[in-house]
Amino acid sequence: MSFLRASSPHAHSALTTARVMQWVLLATLPGLAALTVFFGIGSLINIALACIFALLFEAAVLKLRKRNALIYLRDCSALVTAVLLGLALPPYCPWWVVMLGVFFAIVVAKHLFGGLGYNPFNPAMVGYVALLISFPVEMTQWAAPSTLSNASASFPPIVESLTHVFSHDTLDGYTAATPLEVLKLREGLTLDTLYTNEAIFNQARWAGVGWEWVNIGFLIGGIFLLYKRVFTWHAPVAMLATLTLCSFLFYDAGGSQSAGSPLFHLLSGGTMLGAFFILTDPVSSAVSNKGRLIFGGLAGVIIFVIRVWGIYPDAIAFAVLLMNFAAPFIDYYTVPRTYGHNRAHRVTKIKE
Amino acid sequence: MRKIWDIHGGVHPPENKIQSNQKPIGVMPLPDWVSLPLNQHVGAPARPLVKVGDHVKTAQLIADAEGFVSAPVHASLSGKVVAIENRPIPHASGMQAPCIVIESDGEDTWTELQPCENYMDLQAEILLEKVRSAGIAGLGGAGFPTAVKLQPDANKKIDTLILNGTECEPYITADDVLMREQANDIIAGAQLMAKLLDNPRILIGVEDNKPEAIKALTDAAQNTAIEIISFPTKYPSGGEKQLIQILTGKEVKSGTLPSEIGIVLQNVGTAVAAFQAIKDGIPLIERVTTVVGRSLQIQRNVHVRLGTPIQHLLSQHGFDENNCARIIIGGPMMGYTVDSISVPVIKTTNCVLVPSEDEMPTPPPTQPCIRCGHCADACPANLLPQQLYWYSQAQDFEKLQAHHLMDCIECGACSYVCPSAIPLVQYYRASKGAIRQQQIDKQKSDRARLRFEAHKERVEKAEAEKEAKRAARKKAAEEARKKIDLTKSQPAEKSDTAKLDPVAAAMAKAANTKADPADEKAKIERNLESARNRLARFNHQLNDARNENDEARAGKLEPKIKQTELKISELENKLAQMAKT
Amino acid sequence: MSENTEIQTSTQNNETTVDYKELTLNGLWKNNPALVQLLGLCPLLAVTGSVVNAMGLGLATMLVLMGSNIAVSLIRHAVTDAVRLPAFVMIIASFTTCTELLMQALTYELYQILGIFIPLIVTNCAILGRADAFASRNKVLPSAVDGFMMGLGFMFVLLAIGAIREIIGAGTLFADMQLLFGASAENWKITLFGDNYPGFLIAVLPPGAFLVAGLLIALKNIIDAQIQARAAKLKAKTVKGSKRVRTTGQIA
Repeated sequence: MSFLRASSPHAHSALTTARVMQWVLLATLPGLAALTVFFGIGSLINIALACIFALLFEAAVLKLRKRNALIYLRDCSALVTAVLLGLALPPYCPWWVVMLGVFFAIVVAKHLFGGLGYNPFNPAMVGYVALLISFPVEMTQWAAPSTLSNASASFPPIVESLTHVFSHDTLDGYTAATPLEVLKLREGLTLDTLYTNEAIFNQARWAGVGWEWVNIGFLIGGIFLLYKRVFTWHAPVAMLATLTLCSFLFYDAGGSQSAGSPLFHLLSGGTMLGAFFILTDPVSSAVSNKGRLIFGGLAGVIIFVIRVWGIYPDAIAFAVLLMNFAAPFIDYYTVPRTYGHNRAHRVTKIKE
Repeated sequence: MRKIWDIHGGVHPPENKIQSNQKPIGVMPLPDWVSLPLNQHVGAPARPLVKVGDHVKTAQLIADAEGFVSAPVHASLSGKVVAIENRPIPHASGMQAPCIVIESDGEDTWTELQPCENYMDLQAEILLEKVRSAGIAGLGGAGFPTAVKLQPDANKKIDTLILNGTECEPYITADDVLMREQANDIIAGAQLMAKLLDNPRILIGVEDNKPEAIKALTDAAQNTAIEIISFPTKYPSGGEKQLIQILTGKEVKSGTLPSEIGIVLQNVGTAVAAFQAIKDGIPLIERVTTVVGRSLQIQRNVHVRLGTPIQHLLSQHGFDENNCARIIIGGPMMGYTVDSISVPVIKTTNCVLVPSEDEMPTPPPTQPCIRCGHCADACPANLLPQQLYWYSQAQDFEKLQAHHLMDCIECGACSYVCPSAIPLVQYYRASKGAIRQQQIDKQKSDRARLRFEAHKERVEKAEAEKEAKRAARKKAAEEARKKIDLTKSQPAEKSDTAKLDPVAAAMAKAANTKADPADEKAKIERNLESARNRLARFNHQLNDARNENDEARAGKLEPKIKQTELKISELENKLAQMAKT
Repeated sequence: MSENTEIQTSTQNNETTVDYKELTLNGLWKNNPALVQLLGLCPLLAVTGSVVNAMGLGLATMLVLMGSNIAVSLIRHAVTDAVRLPAFVMIIASFTTCTELLMQALTYELYQILGIFIPLIVTNCAILGRADAFASRNKVLPSAVDGFMMGLGFMFVLLAIGAIREIIGAGTLFADMQLLFGASAENWKITLFGDNYPGFLIAVLPPGAFLVAGLLIALKNIIDAQIQARAAKLKAKTVKGSKRVRTTGQIA
């Protein structure tokens, strides 16, 4: 009778990678619901397409790498990347935009670097940025919130949505500028005037109709993930805190030079999605809790800088990618103090 | 209420203690034979005092401690020594080690013991010697010789003695039932140890999942100054460094022992063993072991004689081999597996866990690390396990040491929480071994380098001396030659100079002698002879080659033949010339 | 052909007799400056946005490479170790300047498009590398052939990357060839995806160049691996005896 030889520990907690990924997917549902209510089924189509393409590409690459696709697909990581990319892309964008984005995210940013756990950059953001600089027109055509559209229906009916996605017709009646774009191009109006003039603001409560609820939805999802201890609070809270602080500093009492109120920055664009879903991607972020504070904090600063003084209206993707660059460097300097040592020291110097 | 601190991290695995802590400690029939390894402790193996064929009695000393950090071994039953050889031992490597195997005679005759009623009146040195000669080692699992631990450096003042009744690992309840049944012995043992350490304060730490044990200890310690402290259950609070942190808030400096900060920590079982060794004179031949797992019919704690093969222990509890997934010595978090049930119970065997397949299923396949950081949150030593894992895979020893790999206590909390089911602790163990081997190799090569450099120096010095001697001789010869040249015009004094300096004379003779013409001629004739033979051989080979139409070989032979013919003609010319002169 | 079976047989002056077939193979495939030696990546990634740019720079580089190889080979015995490298760089710089002036005279628009990358040919490590590793140790004719082959290999890679980037980025092939070949080349342009092709901008920007170059290197490695696998299959299989199993070593 031969007994199994294994190494300790022999007990294991019930947590698996697939379970963690499934909770992340679950947490996107409130935000996704808000997107659907306010902007129609465009995001749902994006996510569906992205998921299909992601599974196909991932299976193909796994086969090229001579791995058992069925086992490795089961950890749902490709699905999470696809969903995050689908949420970040403008609703109703053409199908080939989604396909190319997923290709860049899964094949180039993830598998060419070694697969799950080896990518130094956030795959969804790499896909997004590749699309943003390649197809500026398609990537900046955002749908209007349902209450604002000029066309007959509140948002495009299903058939029309699908035809737009799969052919290349324009969706003129249904597009509008996002709140961030409106703020950026306001040409010296004070915030109060802007809020009274623009429909996208005067119908909203805090930060632009539709978009504020989307952000609140993602905030709810993020709090759920914090409760489930999928990640620690350090990175998201640091990013939101520095973003708030920066916008506070440059608020200028809502004058013509103001950069926007803190509440506006927190609840517009991709702030909450970025804070709780993009920035917390464990593979490409810093390793220790102190490191995550710095990681999130600097990301918040970069987001604010690009939003206010850069040429792009929203900056989550660029900020996250820049901080992914810096993460190993941050790791060297934020090793926590080990039990039995006097103080934490840098890993670049080895003390015996 | 005494203040307690908390450790960083920690996990809460299911306790699984209820299977074995409901019954009192049981007793078992003696086995047919015992196998006592010579090394059941940290330090040098003991040296056997008996030979094969000797008859020994229970509690008889059969192997003596070898060196300072060592412990003796006593026979755990009476019988005949049938072997002193390599036998399976309970170790993760599955290797064998020297053991003394005693076949029981069924009688269990004890040797004469030396109890001591008024032990508290004895001097500390005598008590220490009794503890040492009783073979007491740390029964919590580490096996450090207790006498060494109770004898810290003279310049270290011990202010706290901590008894470890935590037993944080799931399944194990040996200390729990011991504290319930033998609380008085524990308190007495604590006071005994305190006497040896110059009376520090005494603390006993117990997790709060053992309410009966806490009550028993508190009752037993009623009229003493011993404090019983309970704290929230968390794994791995029972580790030495962790318990010290919980009870005193102090941290043991990396790479040092707790005695550096004035603390000595002992397991409650060790305290009982030390007490029994001194009061009743019983050396360490028995211990309490938890036998647990769903492949058994009876799960409980039992007094086991050391050296009992696991087979006997398990068969006494209704072991079903076919239902058993693995045999674990120790608990599920830090225990190691063995593959043979003939390994014996030794001083550090606190638990034998034999789970069934559904109780402890085969681990799932490992997936890539997603750097989620749950491991860093769980690590009690506040390390970064995910970084240690990456550098361990890359065999980057410098980075591993910079991340303090050596401070890892191998508790297994990180692997327990890992969502990708990575066996982290195994990587660290392998890397620690590689680093240690690297250090040993470096030491060896350093020593070899020093030896080589010394050797080189010696050789150079010898060379220099030889050179000096040669130079001196040469100078003397020069002077002698000068003298000879002078005396050439005065040949009468030749013999005198020859006597004066034989070396110079010999050298002078050699310089003046011409080659003997006869010798020269003989030499040339010999060369000529061999050249002619060579030519004949080559010609023969050439004929063979031509007959076989081997053009390549013929081509190679022809220049050789030409060369030999030239040589022959040269030698013949020389001879002719010599004949002329 | 028996004297060409060995690539290098030592003769009296420590110079080597060369196999031209081997030179060609090295320059074009086995030791390709762009795909294997990874030299000259700066022009490779910067000016390969279209086929005409790539061809222009490729021809210029080939010209400089051949010229400098010949010149270095001619003076190889006269130059001492101390001034070797500065002398080589001066030679390369002179040829680069000549090429630049030629381009300025004959293909002015292309010269303006390529801009600073023509004078930057002097920093192309492939040229100095060949001068030092080959031309300074071999006779004139082999050095000239080596320069030609290395330059040709480099140009082929430039053309490949340029073609791919042009097709993906702009949807055309051989656009603007009149800048190099005169007015008659205007109708060489092939539009592959129709006039409404939006163009995958990232292919024309530097990141796309890195990606395409990387994929080409991967393709070359795949082809090499398959050639090796096929050659290994043809070799006789070794007899399998009992092998000892390693029980020590690292945990994988």
